Amino acid sequence: MSTATGIGRPLRTAALVLALLLTVASCAVRTTSMLRDPNTVRIALNGWVGYEASAVVIEYLLEEELGYQVTLVQIDEQPSWQALDQGALDVILENWGHEDLMELYGPGGNGTVVDGGPNGNIGQIGWYMPAYMAERYPDITTVDGLREHAEVFRTPESGDRGEFLSGAPGFLTQDQGMINHFDLDFTIVYAGSEAAEVTEVRNRYAKGEPVLFYFNEPHWLFTELDLVRVEFPEATPGCAADLSDVGCDYPRQELNKIYRAGFAEEGGPAFELIDAWQWTNEDQNAVARLLAYEGLDREEAAARWIEENPEVWRPWIPEGSGRR
Amino acid sequence: MSTIDTVSPTGSGSLPAWVTSRWVQAALVVAVLLAGFALVKGQGSFPELPEALQVAPFLDRVYEWVVTHRNTSPLFLYGFNYLSVGLGSAVILINLVLTWLTWPGVVVAGVFTAWRVAGPRVAAFALLTFATFGLLGLWTEAMTTLALLITSVLLALLVGIPLGVVAGRSDRFDRAIRPVLNFLQIMPAFAYLMPMLLLFGIGNPAAAVATTVYAFPPAVRITSLAIRGVDPGAVEAAVSLGSTRWQTLTKVQLPLARRTIMLGVNQVIMLAVSMVVIASVIGAGGLGDAIYQALNKVNVGRAFEAGLAIVFLAIALDRVTAAAGRERNVPGPDRTGRLPVAAAGVAATAAAAVLARLLGVPDWPREWTVSIAGPVNALNAAVQDLVGGLTSALGTLTLDWVLDPLRAVLTDSPWWLVVLAAAALGAVLEGWRTAVVAGLSLLVIGVLGVWDLSMDTLSQVLVAALLTTVVGIAVGIAAARSTVLSRVLRPVLDAMQTLPPFVYLIPAVALFGTGRVPALAAAVIFALPPVIRLVENGIRGVSPAAVEAAVSQGSTRFQLLTKVQLPLARASLRLAVNQGIMMVLAMVVIGALVGAGALGYGVVFGLGQNLLGLGLTSGLAIVCLGVLLDRLTQGAARREG
Repeated sequence: MSTATGIGRPLRTAALVLALLLTVASCAVRTTSMLRDPNTVRIALNGWVGYEASAVVIEYLLEEELGYQVTLVQIDEQPSWQALDQGALDVILENWGHEDLMELYGPGGNGTVVDGGPNGNIGQIGWYMPAYMAERYPDITTVDGLREHAEVFRTPESGDRGEFLSGAPGFLTQDQGMINHFDLDFTIVYAGSEAAEVTEVRNRYAKGEPVLFYFNEPHWLFTELDLVRVEFPEATPGCAADLSDVGCDYPRQELNKIYRAGFAEEGGPAFELIDAWQWTNEDQNAVARLLAYEGLDREEAAARWIEENPEVWRPWIPEGSGRR
Repeated sequence: MSTIDTVSPTGSGSLPAWVTSRWVQAALVVAVLLAGFALVKGQGSFPELPEALQVAPFLDRVYEWVVTHRNTSPLFLYGFNYLSVGLGSAVILINLVLTWLTWPGVVVAGVFTAWRVAGPRVAAFALLTFATFGLLGLWTEAMTTLALLITSVLLALLVGIPLGVVAGRSDRFDRAIRPVLNFLQIMPAFAYLMPMLLLFGIGNPAAAVATTVYAFPPAVRITSLAIRGVDPGAVEAAVSLGSTRWQTLTKVQLPLARRTIMLGVNQVIMLAVSMVVIASVIGAGGLGDAIYQALNKVNVGRAFEAGLAIVFLAIALDRVTAAAGRERNVPGPDRTGRLPVAAAGVAATAAAAVLARLLGVPDWPREWTVSIAGPVNALNAAVQDLVGGLTSALGTLTLDWVLDPLRAVLTDSPWWLVVLAAAALGAVLEGWRTAVVAGLSLLVIGVLGVWDLSMDTLSQVLVAALLTTVVGIAVGIAAARSTVLSRVLRPVLDAMQTLPPFVYLIPAVALFGTGRVPALAAAVIFALPPVIRLVENGIRGVSPAAVEAAVSQGSTRFQLLTKVQLPLARASLRLAVNQGIMMVLAMVVIGALVGAGALGYGVVFGLGQNLLGLGLTSGLAIVCLGVLLDRLTQGAARREG
C-alpha cells in the first residue's frame, strides 16, 4: 500500500503540472478579453471643463434617452489612449492631435483604436494674457515684446524669471520648447488643474495684475474676461516634433473622437449616438459656462442645455431606439 | 532648590550630557551644511549622468516595449495578463452582482450581515451608510468602490493568511519575510502606482494589485502572531493524539487563532479603503474618482460629499470587522440555529431584490437625492471670506520664510555636502550603519536623476514633520494630564485614523487653495493622531512610583514633566516622531494632486504624460526618502525599546 502511494504521488503531481501547463499554454490572455458590462459605456474624462461639457451631455443622453449606464473616468490625455488600447475605456470624446499615439495604437500599429472623426469643435491652444496688459505694453503680444517684458510677470513661485502659468501637469504642452527656442526668460508654474488655473487668472484679472498663461479655445472664460493671444510664428507640420525646441505656435485643429476598436465594431445605439454627435464651440461653451461659472451639477447643466436645444441633439438619437 | 538636584539624577543621571553632546553634534552638522550653502550657492545640484547611465530614458524604453508587446509577448500573454484580466473581470463581475441585487437587496444583505456580526447599533450605522450613498447620488460610485474593495481584500487575504500561517510555523520563514513586510509598510502608497500601471494596465486591475500589495502585510504579521499565540498545550495534545500537521493546523491552530486573525482582516480592510481611493489616480472608478474629479475642479462641496461617503464606508467596515474579532455580542441562536438565520437573511435579500424589480426601482431613484455640495460650497465661500485673507497671508508667509529658504538650502548646497550631512546625522544619531544607509539613499536619489524634486519634497516633509511633532507632543502632553481632554480626543482620533489620506486634502484645499501649503496642512493633520496617541500613552505609561517620588520631593508640574515624565517616555516619543514623519511623507507626495509639486508631481506627471522613467524614478526616490527618514528616526527607538 505504501509503495502505491509512493509512486502514485509524484506521478499524480507530474500529471497535474502537465495539465496546468497545457491549460496555460492553450490560452494566451489578451487584455481585451476582460469581462465587460454591455450596458455600461465608459468614457474618458480629461481635465478641462470643455471636455466635461461634452461628456455630461453625452452621459445624460445615453442614460435618459437610451437607458445605458455611463461611467466617466477622470484620466489624463495620454493614459486615456492606453486605456482604450487595453480595453479599459470605450471612447475619448475630445482628442487634441496625438498623431504619435495614433501611429502606435491605430490601424497602422496595435489596431486597438480607431479615429471617430471630428466632433465639430475647433481647438486652439496658446499663450494668453489680459487685454489690459497689451494696453500697458503695446508690443507685449509679440515674441520680442514678451522677451523684453518678461520681468513684469515675476511672482514668488517663479523667482527671478517671469511666470508662465500652466494648468494640469497632464496637459499636452510644448511651452518649454517655445521658451527655449525663442529664448524667453520664463519658468513654467503649474496651478495643478485647469480649475485652479482659471481661479488664479480670475483673481489676478480682478486686481489688474500681470499674468501670462497657457489656455485654449473653446473656453467659456472668454465670455467673461477680455483676453489676448501672444503671436508666435504659425504652426507648420512637424514644427513641434522636438519638444525641447519648438519654433512655432500651437496648431489650430479639428478636435476628434477616438473609439476603442471593439466599441466601434460592436456598434449598438450607444455607439451610434456618439458617432452621430457633433456640435459647435458655442454649444460647448454654453454647457461649460453652466458647469464652471454658474456651478450647476452635471445633470442640471446637461438637462438645461438639452431642454433648450432639442433641434441640436434630436438628430443624434439613433432611429427606433428612443427611450427604452 | 536642592531637592531638585536630588531628583534629576533619579530620572536620568547621564541624560543631559547625552542630549547636549548629540544635539551639539547634530547642530554642528547643520551649521556646516548652512556654511556650505552660503559659500557655493546655486551650483549644487547633482551632476547629470552621461546619457548611457541615466535611469529614466532606459525606463522609458522599457515602457515603450511593454506598450507595444502587452498583447504579443509571452511574458504578458501567459503571465501578467492572467492576473490583470482575472482581477479586472472579478471587479466587473462583483459589480454586476451588486447591480443585479438592486439597491434594496444590497441594503438588506449589508444591514443583515452587520446585525448578525456586530449587533443592532452597527446595523443601524450600516443602514445610515447606505442611505448616505443613495441620498448623495453616489450609489453607483459606492458600489464600484465596494466591488474593487471586495476583490482586493479577498486577494490580500488569499496571499496574506497562507504566508502568515507558514511564518507562524517556521521561524526561518518568519525572519526572512519580516524585512520585506517592513519595507512594504514604509513605502508610501503613491510610489506603488506607476509600476502597477506598467505591469497590469490602467484602471481596475492595476488598482486591485496596488491595493493588495499595500494591504496584505498586516494579514501576514497578525496571522503569524495568532498561530504562535495558540496554547502550545493544545497543539501538543493534538499531535500526541496522532493528528497530522494539516489536521493540527485546520482543527486546532486556525480555529483557536481565528479571533486574532480577524483583527488582521480588519487592518487589511482599512488599508485597502485608503488605497482604493488613491488608486483613482491610475483610472480606478468609484468614490475615489469622484473626489479626484472634484479636487480637479476645486469643487470643495462635491469633494466633501464623496469624502463623506468614504468616511461612512470606512467606519462601517471597521465596526463590522472589529466586532467579528471580538466575542459574540449578539444574543442569537447557537451553532445549530445559525443556518436557518442565515437562510432567512438570504431570503430577505432575494425578496427585496425581487420587490425592487417588480416596483421598477432597481436603481436608486434620482428624485431621492439631495445635494449638499451647494450649501457646503456656500459655507466654504463664507469661511474663505472670513479667514481667506488670514490663511492666504499665512500661506505666503510659510512659503517665503520657511519652505523656500529650506528648499534653497537643500537644492543649492553642493549635493555631496547634503549627502555627507545626512550620513553625519545618521552617525551622530544612530551609528555608522545608519550613516551608510542615509548617505547611500541620497546618493541613489542623485543617480536616479531626481535630486531637485527630492530636495523639494524633503523640505516640505521636514517642515510638516517639525510642525506635527511640536503640536503632537504638546497635545499629547495635555491629554496625558487631563482626563477630560483625553476622553474628548479619543473618538476624534479614532475617526481620524479611519479616514483615507485622500480625504484630508479636501479641507486643506478649502482653506489654503492649491500649492505646497495645503499639502503641508493636510500632512500635519493626517499625521497628528498617532503622534498624539503615542505621546499620551508614553507619558501615562511612566511608572507611578517615579512620578510619586518626584512629587513627594517637591517637583513642580513643569519639573515633573521635563525631568521625569518626558525622559522616561523617550522610547514612545521617538516612535511618535518616526510614525509622524513617515505619515507626513506619504501625505506630502499625495499633495501633488493639489499642486504641491516635487516628487509626487513627478509621479503624477509621469502618469499623465506617459513618462514611465520620470514616474518610476520619482516613486523610487520617495522610497529612498522613506528609508532615510525611517532610519534616522527609528533606530534609536528600536535599540532602546
